[in-house]
Amino acid sequence: MSDHSIVRDPKGYWADLTGAERGVVGFIVVLFALLFWGLLSGGLGPAYFMYLVGLVGMYMLLSFGLNVQWGYTGLINFSVAAFFGLGAYGTALLTANSSPLTGGLDPFFGIIPVPLVGLVVGLLLAAVLAVVIGIPTLKLRADYLAIASLGLAEVVRLIIKNQDGWTNGSRGLLGIPGFFDGWPVLDTFPQTMPGLRFAELQIGIPGVWSTRILGFTLGQSFWQSTLNVALVVAFVAATYVVLRRVHQSPWGRVLRTIRSDEDLAEALGKDTYSYKMQAFVLGSVIMALAGVFFAHLNLFVGPGSLDPINTFYVWIAVILGGTGSNRGAMFGGFVIIAIQEGTRFLGSALPQTLPVDLPSVLGVINSTYGTVVDNFASTRLLAVGIIIILVMRYRPEGVLPPQRELIWPESAKAADVTGGAVTGSAVDDSPGPDDEQARAHDGVDATVDDADATDSASDDADATDSASDDADHGGKSDE
Amino acid sequence: MSVLEFIANGLVFSSIIVLASIGLSLVYSIADFANFAHGDTMTVGAYAALVTFGAVGTLGGTVLGLPYGFFVALLAGVAVAAVVAVATHKLIYEPVEIGSIGLLITSIGVAFVYRSVIRMGFGADFTEYGIQVLRPIEALLPFGIRMTLHDVAILGSAIVLVSALHFLLQYTDLGRKMRATADNPDLARVSGIRTNRIEIWTWIIGAGLAGAGGAFLGLFNQLSPRMGFDILLVVFAAVILGGIGSVYGAMLGGLLIGMINQTMPLFENFGQYAPLVPEGWGIPIGLEYANAVAFVIMVLVLLARPNGILGDSAT
Repeated sequence: MSDHSIVRDPKGYWADLTGAERGVVGFIVVLFALLFWGLLSGGLGPAYFMYLVGLVGMYMLLSFGLNVQWGYTGLINFSVAAFFGLGAYGTALLTANSSPLTGGLDPFFGIIPVPLVGLVVGLLLAAVLAVVIGIPTLKLRADYLAIASLGLAEVVRLIIKNQDGWTNGSRGLLGIPGFFDGWPVLDTFPQTMPGLRFAELQIGIPGVWSTRILGFTLGQSFWQSTLNVALVVAFVAATYVVLRRVHQSPWGRVLRTIRSDEDLAEALGKDTYSYKMQAFVLGSVIMALAGVFFAHLNLFVGPGSLDPINTFYVWIAVILGGTGSNRGAMFGGFVIIAIQEGTRFLGSALPQTLPVDLPSVLGVINSTYGTVVDNFASTRLLAVGIIIILVMRYRPEGVLPPQRELIWPESAKAADVTGGAVTGSAVDDSPGPDDEQARAHDGVDATVDDADATDSASDDADATDSASDDADHGGKSDE
Repeated sequence: MSVLEFIANGLVFSSIIVLASIGLSLVYSIADFANFAHGDTMTVGAYAALVTFGAVGTLGGTVLGLPYGFFVALLAGVAVAAVVAVATHKLIYEPVEIGSIGLLITSIGVAFVYRSVIRMGFGADFTEYGIQVLRPIEALLPFGIRMTLHDVAILGSAIVLVSALHFLLQYTDLGRKMRATADNPDLARVSGIRTNRIEIWTWIIGAGLAGAGGAFLGLFNQLSPRMGFDILLVVFAAVILGGIGSVYGAMLGGLLIGMINQTMPLFENFGQYAPLVPEGWGIPIGLEYANAVAFVIMVLVLLARPNGILGDSAT
């Protein structure tokens, strides 16, 4: 809710950001700088670069989905990978030419592209599964859902791995077409685009250091992945907008109340079971959307996509980014790619043994280094574990806890006009050291403030009503 | 294979699950969170036993087909698992002030750290203790039971440990304090019980039993860094089936789940074993779904009786 648009007044915009936000912006800039450097120096192919951008988008979608469940409603879902896998397999089984079920279909009625049908099927499968797992667990304590959903994820993985006749088992499904297969114009877009040749350049400081950069061609595969990135950007943007609207609606505030204090929501006459079920299904469908995208991005799906570790990547994205914050979830998407590519880099780019000779007393350092570099899957696992512990220990509310995104734009403006009548509200928007307030506002624990929101949610408040309500307790005190 | 043999195998596997689920249930009721690192604590115990066994060797004679060295290794596995768990409790769980759900999520991170460290040290592949595989006991063969002395050792040790725990809980001071703390921690504290210490004892006992379970699991199957995580869900199923927080429920749940897990082929070829049922009839579920069946049972239990078979009764 900055007064300073980034275009007109970049300095003011920067000054408006909180410390954490600056750190996040810095992190993303550095990450992209590194990736660009990889692109320029040839360490990273242009198509792979775009593939990574696509994966960032995919993890954003997954994090959005989990945010609906955990971030807003407090549902612990450990079967993210299962919903993701169902989405991916749902579309792959319809479209892949190696699919044992269909062997790849022709366009429906001659015009509807199969991937579009695959999208619908994938999302439906996830919705059905979400209802099935929700019925026995959503009425119980939160930790039952955690256990049951982890078990369920394993069941789904076992079925996909072992039912050779349906899913090709551990061989996976090859030959999935791109998402735009069978679409008018877009189907042949990569072929029609020209190949762009970048001549090799020699740069550097003469006599000191020089390197060769560029020297690649942007060909068909690059355009194909550009198309994919455009697709995921569309998915992410649409989901973000929908979720933003949904979360600021009365429905969204009931969810937040349930997370803070379920008994209170019940006392206010809310059918919490039904609300939780709706949130669970909505989140699962978004995860399946990410799965559908992944199938058409990767053009191959195997049971490995359903490994529990993938679930916990998404958990890191959400708890590190900021539980209940979609901006945080987007940031989390970048972090996952940083972990995955960073450990891959450790595994491939660093020398196998330490470049310096250490005395034998420090042999342990030598061997540790060797293990870390050698075995990047384990390093990745270790990184995931340590990040989870550190976040829960030192910053359980995440790096970007929800602050501004809980407020309607109009209400913030209204609050500004009245001179920021509300002070000392829990949602503090000022750029100062706001860590304390942020912690108080939305950590893992409940806050009374969230619960208050239900008052207006209980009568069918429309957008204007809720706007004024938000202005009451979420207003901006920033002169 | 005969029905009796399936049941014998089921008993052996059950004893491992029972050891693990008791620990999980104890921690659940006293530390008050679902500890997802429990399976990996078992892995820690198993690998500690592996290292110790490699270091001390066989030490001469054997009991029940197992060299003395293995029992030393077993004790080491128990000890290391307990020490690791107490250290984790002190360093990680205690300073975190985020309620039981936060602790649950933290314990996932802990599980990953355990597993990745083990993977770094020992690689991701399967290993074995290198104890010679025994021939089945001759005396049982006429009954159609192929059971080795190792199986008897696992079963026997589990019975000893479970009986010891029962004695501890029912007849010692510590046990009474533990039950009081599980029942109502605040009331226990105002009655003068130092609940902090009780919590540490809980970790020692729970993780120690898990370590023993892990060491036996390595003997029963093989060792791999994923062994604990893979069995964790089965253990959770047992705990939920028995009723969360009830130690005796966990024993019962572990027995049932372990039995079902190992007697799966019985159901698949039901017709062959049951009288009056036509040959070839059965529930067509392959052995690869043994774990899945455990989860499905767990979900059904949650539907019908959320508190489990012995839930909400005295610990």
